Amino acid sequence: MESGENRLIQEIEDLKLNFEKTLNKLTKDIQRQEKIMLRSDKRQREEYDELQKKFAEVEALQKEIEETQKEVVFTMGAIGESRSKETGNHVKRVAEYSKLFGIYLGLSEEESEMLKQASPMHDIGKVAIADAILNKPGRFTDEEFEIMKNHSQLGFEMLRHSDRPLLKCASIVAYEHHEKYNGKGYPRGLKGDEIHIHGRITAIADVFDALGSDRCYKKAWSDEKIFNLFKEERGEHFDAKLVDIFFKHLDEFLDIRAKFADV
Amino acid sequence: MENLVIEETKYTPKISLDKNGIVSMVGKSYPENTFEFYEPVMEWIREYFKSENKKFTLNMEITYFNSSSSKLFFDLFDLIEEHNSEDIEVNWIYDEENESALEAGEDFQDDFEGLKINLVKK
Repeated sequence: MESGENRLIQEIEDLKLNFEKTLNKLTKDIQRQEKIMLRSDKRQREEYDELQKKFAEVEALQKEIEETQKEVVFTMGAIGESRSKETGNHVKRVAEYSKLFGIYLGLSEEESEMLKQASPMHDIGKVAIADAILNKPGRFTDEEFEIMKNHSQLGFEMLRHSDRPLLKCASIVAYEHHEKYNGKGYPRGLKGDEIHIHGRITAIADVFDALGSDRCYKKAWSDEKIFNLFKEERGEHFDAKLVDIFFKHLDEFLDIRAKFADV
Repeated sequence: MENLVIEETKYTPKISLDKNGIVSMVGKSYPENTFEFYEPVMEWIREYFKSENKKFTLNMEITYFNSSSSKLFFDLFDLIEEHNSEDIEVNWIYDEENESALEAGEDFQDDFEGLKINLVKK
């Protein structure tokens, strides 16, 4: 009887021990899990913060690249202008007019903005034209005019090798801004929609601004005279759609002209 | 007992298990299925402890690990602790700038007081 009781007690003692061991292990496991989770949460927070920081950095860099590109393109346009002694705001106004035409024609905001940035380079080919011709007061001889006309092709050659969308756009603008809708322009005599829309837009923007400004070879035209020319050249020199947009939103074009007036 | 080498991948460390009792893990550890991935390693170590050889050194240089790897490392240290002796040591190697690696090393030290875990600054 006594030994039987002892056996039972022994078994209970063993059970107690086992039970305690298991409980200890469970407690330990729970504590570990908790520790792991705490560490993991902490690290996740740090990683997320770091990620946000990196994203912000990438974004800032992206912006920096875009701004640099814009500046380079704008400066190149300004170099072209400064050589031909035209006032610096010409490129700014052509840029703004081009964007406005783009928007009202239904181009996307993105494309219109790109055109705005690219259009100041339309005359970049002029850097390769001799000063004596470029800044000649009065009319060109036929021969001089032929040389002068080369600036479209020259500008295209300068920019064509780039794969950047902005510079590609600029190369088209340089190449085609003297084409006329009726096919009588240069250098290729393209007609109608054969002329890229960016070329057609820059053409009208450039002429509007050039006519309204004093140049070494002429005085500024009156608005009335310009408007008459635009009406005559609707569908001839210029794409009719663009002339229509010009008159429909005339006040906005005149606002730009006033805002970026030469001082 | 054969040597075993598991090459490093993008998600898992290089692991070499030397039959003279030197095991090293170097790299990152965030496998898709952590316990499955480490099973051959655990099995090798279990077999090792059955052998005559008593000396055992584990060098761990894990720069990045997920929480299930962390859990597995606890299990691994449990296994080592079961065979604890003065011939057994763990070197937890960390880079000074890697705060979470150091903290994990400290957690292991806290949890395995009897085990010789050295925190080794790289």
